[in-house]
Amino acid sequence: MIKVLLFGRFCDLHDKESFEVTLTNDSTSADELRQQLSAEFPDLGRALNETQTLIAVNQEIVAINHLLKAGDEVAFLPPVTGG
Amino acid sequence: MSSNNPEVLVCESDFDVGTEYAQLCSDLPGAGALVSFVGRVRDLNESTSVASLELQHYPGMTEKLIQQIIDQAKKSWDIDRVRVIHRVGTLCPTDQIVFVGVASAHRKEAFAAAEFIMDYLKTKATFWKRESDGHKAEWLDMKDSDIAASQRWGK
Repeated sequence: MIKVLLFGRFCDLHDKESFEVTLTNDSTSADELRQQLSAEFPDLGRALNETQTLIAVNQEIVAINHLLKAGDEVAFLPPVTGG
Repeated sequence: MSSNNPEVLVCESDFDVGTEYAQLCSDLPGAGALVSFVGRVRDLNESTSVASLELQHYPGMTEKLIQQIIDQAKKSWDIDRVRVIHRVGTLCPTDQIVFVGVASAHRKEAFAAAEFIMDYLKTKATFWKRESDGHKAEWLDMKDSDIAASQRWGK
């Protein structure tokens, strides 16, 4: 089980800001999880696939080929606007 | 919300600049320069009137990223003490959003470090703003001017 977190405008494209996902196979990358979500939620998927989207696993920014493991927290981050 | 980290605080509550100033320079007789910056909510953003601003963040990761920015500033400039406060939740025009304070022996380092921290806060820390004009609310996009400001440090 993977915990998925959405932030910023991604929150408006899904009914939950935080939800759990079961991986379809044992060696799933962050990008494969993104494609799995895209297949299920096309509107959200289009936004998650934008080039500026960053992916964090357990609160660290990772490359899209980072392999996930059960219990990971995966966050999809749109461009930030703090300060 | 309280925090044990003396350098980073992300919270809903307002801050008092006088208190922060006093803490920033307490027991630092060698700090001849103290730069503090306060960011506030404007009533107009690109000609749209602002009724309120909602600030969302990624708890845990945000604090970690701000700490990394501070650590980077400390490596780049000879500075004695840093304090960053960033508010989250719903804010209104004229409300304070962010405080950056830097104490240093000399002004050049303090100004540069404070500016660097602000530029990086805008482009690296996990905050997202949703602005409302009283009728509809929209998530803001990162500004090109903020990206350029951040890139000029070349770090």
